[in-house]
Amino acid sequence: MEQLIALVVAFPLASALLVQLVARRQGDHASRISITFSTLTAVLAGLLLWLKLSGQATTQINLFGSWGLLLFDPLSTLMMLVIALISLIVHVYSRRYMAQEPGYARFFVLLDLMTACLLLMVSAGDLLTLLIAWHLIGILLYFLLGQDMRSHSAHRYAFWTLITYRIGDIPLVLAAGLLVYVYGTGSLPDLFAQISSQPEQQLFMGLPVLDIVAGLIAFAAFARSAQFLLHTWLPYSMAGPTPVSALMHAGIVNAGGFLINRFAPVFVHAGDILHWVFVVGLFTAVIGSVLMLTQNDIKKSLGYSTMGQMGFMVMECGVGAFSLAIYHLIAHGLFKGTLFLGAGGVIHAARRDDGVPKNDLYTFVVERQPTRQRQPWLLMAAITLVVPVTILIISHWLVSQDYFQKQGAVVLLFFGWITGAQLIFATYRMRSQNIKRLIGMSTFSFAVVVLGYTLISHAFDLFLYPDEVFRAQIYSAAAVDIFWFDIMIVLITAIIILGWFLAYYADQSRRKEVVPSNLWMTFYALISRELYLQDVYSRLSRMLLSGAARLNAWLRWV
Amino acid sequence: MDSLLYPLAGLFLPLFPLSMLFNTLFARTRQYLVRTLLLLVWPQLGLALLSLLTAPVDIQWLSALALFTSALYAYRAIAARELNQWSGYLSTSLWALLWLFVIHTGKPTPTLHLHALGFSLPLVLLTILGRNVEKQFGAVYTDLYGGLAQSMPRLSGALILTVLAVIATPLFPAFFSMTQLVFAELSVSLSSALLLLIIWLFWSWSGIRLLQGLVIGSAAGVTLSRDIRDISVPVAWGYALLLITLSTGSLLIMEIAQ
Repeated sequence: MEQLIALVVAFPLASALLVQLVARRQGDHASRISITFSTLTAVLAGLLLWLKLSGQATTQINLFGSWGLLLFDPLSTLMMLVIALISLIVHVYSRRYMAQEPGYARFFVLLDLMTACLLLMVSAGDLLTLLIAWHLIGILLYFLLGQDMRSHSAHRYAFWTLITYRIGDIPLVLAAGLLVYVYGTGSLPDLFAQISSQPEQQLFMGLPVLDIVAGLIAFAAFARSAQFLLHTWLPYSMAGPTPVSALMHAGIVNAGGFLINRFAPVFVHAGDILHWVFVVGLFTAVIGSVLMLTQNDIKKSLGYSTMGQMGFMVMECGVGAFSLAIYHLIAHGLFKGTLFLGAGGVIHAARRDDGVPKNDLYTFVVERQPTRQRQPWLLMAAITLVVPVTILIISHWLVSQDYFQKQGAVVLLFFGWITGAQLIFATYRMRSQNIKRLIGMSTFSFAVVVLGYTLISHAFDLFLYPDEVFRAQIYSAAAVDIFWFDIMIVLITAIIILGWFLAYYADQSRRKEVVPSNLWMTFYALISRELYLQDVYSRLSRMLLSGAARLNAWLRWV
Repeated sequence: MDSLLYPLAGLFLPLFPLSMLFNTLFARTRQYLVRTLLLLVWPQLGLALLSLLTAPVDIQWLSALALFTSALYAYRAIAARELNQWSGYLSTSLWALLWLFVIHTGKPTPTLHLHALGFSLPLVLLTILGRNVEKQFGAVYTDLYGGLAQSMPRLSGALILTVLAVIATPLFPAFFSMTQLVFAELSVSLSSALLLLIIWLFWSWSGIRLLQGLVIGSAAGVTLSRDIRDISVPVAWGYALLLITLSTGSLLIMEIAQ
């Protein structure tokens, strides 16, 4: 039955070929073929996941001689279903959305090819197949973003995406080459078996090979998942059609999280790299969120929102919560995909009626203005801290005893709960005058979020990493010294408390005329211009181009 | 004998500055059949010359020079605005890398001739496609008439796929050659493997720039004032089949090489 995995990849390929063949005769109806095949792919992917959940052993199938291996394992089956479902939704949406666009059949061909490549990437069982899929995704995304062949601007931004992806390909090819060179095999199951038996392999000058490989893989993941300094393509890639934005933000950009999970057996032996992954993820999450708040272009704002989410996902990997990252990428994929696909309808509706509710909730969430005080701050602060900590202890007591070992996940949940709590309190505060009801609703929300998140994380852990020893190894690799762990917790708490004070101060001084300081204005200018990174990169590329032109002229163009 | 063969081989598997000769010849040749022949035969002659050597090729500075030549022409290609000139630069950049294969094996192997063919064939297809555009407009410059996708959609499709084949996109032959070369080079030096990947990045950059200048944009100016004839459907399918054959062939070569 596991042979079906080849069919899951083959269906979108067959669809692409068929659509191309009948496009001239069938015209717009070509999309029906594509949707039919997408449905079949999703059904088949669902069947495979069900097979895996019902206890079928992890196996692999070989399409060619020494490569072309497809894995039938928990990660590949889960990711295949996610991709197939998102792709199906995007296909169905595109059928009418793209109807008036030129190159209608070409769009479905590219969409099918992209689906096939994504499915191939998540099921690749050897390095070469993974590299092929990884590389092709970048190329196909370029053409999907540049679907409008008349638009120079769409292609300019698609080009940025492609170049960033190609930069990200470099470390992945190097990592693959190093693994093949040191362990003598490209098959992932064989490779991981060898890594677990000889993790101490050294490279030139006595460098630990797994640290280098893990660093390179992390770099490749950073480029694909728009981590800081490699993120500039993401907010500018909105010039493509909406379904492509949905597919990109819901599926393609998450590839970094998948890649780190796929190479978990490498990262288990590279704890230092995981700490760097955490730092990069944290930095990206903060910068992405700050940039999102200061953009006045809604599309760019959405792009930076994705960047922040990707930072959070990478941060989860950095603290050893690998399976949480997979849950996060699925949840974010569904959420962001819905947001993009719903955007057109919202804009259309807003043309008739802006529907903007002029109430406190709107001004707080959308206009980001502090709300009027109705309930005591101190009580809110106490509940925010006490309730999650209590629930954290209870939930871990019920689910797993060794939560101190999973300190990374604790940091994340703590961070997530407290930031989430701010919004929950603010939202409820504005709607409720009854203090008992407010506390009851807030506590219930916390309980649902915390217990749900913990249970889901536990379920994902059990499914993706059934080996208990390996699960413990991941957390142990990501573990930090208890001193630094405590410092981190105290620091996060201090930042949150400072945030409360700032919000309180902003609320109190709302009626006063406050002139922003020069430092604040400089900071705002820096952030609103996206740290000038886009300008720096444009300048660099122009310099490279003019250098090449000068060289050509100097060498008489031969 | 060997001392004479090396410079000659450096001419046919172009090494800078001997590479300038090939590029001059290629730029001055107006007959597309001669260009096609040059692209097919030139590297094969180089490999044939190397197989005449009495001692195995084991000169490390040649490896550095080959990498330099390849990087130089890959970098220069990003500013090339004429299709044939771009083809000349890319062929130089691609063929120079054949030296690295030879240095790894000591002598040219039959598989290496296939690698060279895999580098050349997409360039041949590109030359033929370029001739189609040249016949319509007199020259194949980027950003001159723009929007070929509007006026010649079938030719544009073939052009896009062919350029992708030249710049070593999977599943075309050059991709497998490059992967194999990078993997082999890693056993010698991390820095030269990194340089190979940067060269590959420059190919992608220049290829996409070329396509953007030729294919993207609204059909305007010269394009609107002429009676443009696109390639026919059977010819477009012919190109597609040739490229599919090329990919299938590269998969077979990959299996042989393993």
